[in-house]
Amino acid sequence: MPVYNRERYVVSALRSLVRQRDAADLDIIVIDDGSTDGSVEAVRSMMRETPCIRLFRQSNMGVTKARNAGLKQLLPQTRLVSFLDSDDISPMGRFTADLACFEEDPGLDLTYSRMTLVDKIDGETLEPAADSHSITVRGIHLSAGIFARDLIERTGGFDEDFKQAEDTDYLLRIFESQAKYVMPDTVALYYRRHPGNMTKEADVPFREFMRAIHKSMKRRRADPSLRPVEGIFDVKDLAQWRFP
Amino acid sequence: MRHTDVYAISSKDIVFESFDGEAVVLDLSSGKYFGFSDSGSRIWQALSSGVDAQALIGLTAGASTIGPAELEGFVSQLLELGLLVGLDAPPQPLPDELLAELAATSEPLTVNVHDDLADLIVVDPIHEVEEPVGWPAVKQAS
Repeated sequence: MPVYNRERYVVSALRSLVRQRDAADLDIIVIDDGSTDGSVEAVRSMMRETPCIRLFRQSNMGVTKARNAGLKQLLPQTRLVSFLDSDDISPMGRFTADLACFEEDPGLDLTYSRMTLVDKIDGETLEPAADSHSITVRGIHLSAGIFARDLIERTGGFDEDFKQAEDTDYLLRIFESQAKYVMPDTVALYYRRHPGNMTKEADVPFREFMRAIHKSMKRRRADPSLRPVEGIFDVKDLAQWRFP
Repeated sequence: MRHTDVYAISSKDIVFESFDGEAVVLDLSSGKYFGFSDSGSRIWQALSSGVDAQALIGLTAGASTIGPAELEGFVSQLLELGLLVGLDAPPQPLPDELLAELAATSEPLTVNVHDDLADLIVVDPIHEVEEPVGWPAVKQAS
């Protein structure tokens, strides 16, 4: 989990993971990317009760390098990897549901599930609030995936050419390769919509998204064994949809 | 009657960016995306910025020169794909740097069409930008 100035949300994000400790032997790696607010103290307050959280700090280098710093801290025995951003919520039962797929198929490289975009999350239950607006899609988000350690090693790190859309690039690389995946209907993420969402801050994402597409075309031109990324993402419902 | 072969990007749904001189074009309405060979990227840049197509004939592109038939074929492809439209306007000058970049290319003029990411391109749920760019953004109440 990369964190940059998210004191308001990071505890909820961590709580949403910690409450699922029974489903998996969790090692929660938090990379504080030079926060200047109370994020570090907020994470430390959680660590007092939950030793499975490990905090690492670096000066501000951006989310791509923070994610790579996190990958470098994976324990040797870690078999499966997922990601959660510091303002999002991992729904209860998310791990139980998808881990069953790995039980069924030891050769599985990843599960790729759905995400709910929601404008209000109840701070106690960590569920979408009764008066919230939400929509569920199979979008493009790292938290939708649980990745086998072998796949993480094969894929390599996040491409540091990207300031943003590093997640898009990463997922495209995975799906272009011959990775073996299943697409459960699990809701793997409550994606919090609020004015400070990282990707809303500038025009950068569009160019970065185009860069991801450019790199994908280049890879496939150079290596015909890579396949097109067909039939994974399904976000059609968003076309006609607006948060009120 | 048109006296020159001048073109423009056909609509605001057609957007493009260049990375290391290689153009990527997206059609936001269909979700198709387009990749070019190195010479194709430069010719796309020239045509989409209003350079007269006639002015490109005979230019050096790698080991050969741009022939009229080759260029015509490329232009009709871009027209058929809906990326360019004819424009009745005075041509724009060909930038010198484009000339040099074209000379340094090595591949023939080609454009490739992809549609595997159409769902994502028509509406990207996460990487939205402001609406003036033409990206169908998912807005939230502030």
